[in-house]
Amino acid sequence: MKERLVTTVNGRRIERYVDPSMRLVDFLRDELLLTGTKIGCKQGECGACTIIMNGTAVLSCIMPVMKAMDAEILTIEGLEKDGTLHPIQDEFIKGGAIQCGFCTPGFIMGTKALLDENPSPTSEEVREELSGHICRCTGYKKIEEAVLKAAERLREEKDD
Amino acid sequence: MKYLIANSTAEVLEFLKEAGGTASILAGGTDLILDIESGKKKADTLVDVTRIPELKKIEEVDGFLEIGAAATLTEIQKNPLVRKYFPSLAKGCKTVGSSLIQNVATLAGNVITAQPAADAGMALSVLDPRFVLVDEEGTRECGVDEMYAGFGVSTLDSGRTLMTKIKIPLPNKNEAASFQRLELRKSLSLPMLNVAAMASIKDGKFEWVRLRMAPVGKGPVRAAEAEEWLVGKEVSAETFKKAGELALENANPRSNPLRGSKEYRESTLPVMVRRALLEIATQLNVMEG
Repeated sequence: MKERLVTTVNGRRIERYVDPSMRLVDFLRDELLLTGTKIGCKQGECGACTIIMNGTAVLSCIMPVMKAMDAEILTIEGLEKDGTLHPIQDEFIKGGAIQCGFCTPGFIMGTKALLDENPSPTSEEVREELSGHICRCTGYKKIEEAVLKAAERLREEKDD
Repeated sequence: MKYLIANSTAEVLEFLKEAGGTASILAGGTDLILDIESGKKKADTLVDVTRIPELKKIEEVDGFLEIGAAATLTEIQKNPLVRKYFPSLAKGCKTVGSSLIQNVATLAGNVITAQPAADAGMALSVLDPRFVLVDEEGTRECGVDEMYAGFGVSTLDSGRTLMTKIKIPLPNKNEAASFQRLELRKSLSLPMLNVAAMASIKDGKFEWVRLRMAPVGKGPVRAAEAEEWLVGKEVSAETFKKAGELALENANPRSNPLRGSKEYRESTLPVMVRRALLEIATQLNVMEG
């Protein structure tokens, strides 16, 4: 039996009839074709499917789609503005914090949630807050650096 | 499958009754969703309780800290009252899975999924918590040992009963608690062992101690021998050592490829107990850490 879902994804209001046993990540990828959000383990253990829901970073792979009811969802596709990448995306690219790129959307959404709440995190806080994301290529150092760089840039932009 | 979003406790009970036992209450769902998919648990209807305002509250009421059953581990861990009265509970909540899990998972769920070494449930277990349960018959309160039926099995039937809140008596000034964890890495790894303790110390002696350990049996296992022996004992390194050895009397860790061998865990458990007691003594300024 399908249920009515009303939600907002990347600023767009969406109303659909969905199978409630579906996970949110499958809804985003298969129904809305927002394939930037990745499926790694589908067990809540790798962070690749991270999105932001009502300001909080969550794992869309172990979330029932109906949890999105009346929620504000932000996916990696919602970050760039008029063709310009978000500073976090830009710093990940510039700093070589991306290799195969599969974990990157999750890392970037996790970073966004972190910096929205804490604009000046220490290295320790970055490591702790992003410890639920697994990257098999970079060794994490460049990711940490890119996050700190992005934080600095976002603070400067705010001051301007 | 049906998915119902409840707006009140009364509505939850109504939905559960309509489903005639085939529904399951859903909070964070971080375990339940996977268990339903793997066939470990069954539910025709999910009743989402995370939007009931009353279940989200964390407040101090008449000498108790009350934590709503839908409060997330992140909300609990960051709450100033929790940090003030029960830092060991904040620590336990902060070690479940990763922050991404903590952002949706609940303390109530951590208890009800009844995994033997669930970190938040373990940290909570020594604080003398009372679980407030509501069903068709009314409201009742239940203690820790009444909650666990077996490995991963709760006594609570999520198709009939709702946990609304967890009440923890506020500590006196000569009481403190500790939560210790042995792990391979800091996040996304199950504990090899965890130990929780709470004690009252007066004039350099233990008045009473509550000591629990996992995964060494069903749910948070009481180190009953050590607890009894500790009463009236002087707070000292020798006492901690003896208590650690006694804890083994009630522990039966199994060899597990993820958690380490029985031998290793039997060697490290006394160390964890010592650390827990030392931390309590340090918090109460009886000893230096």
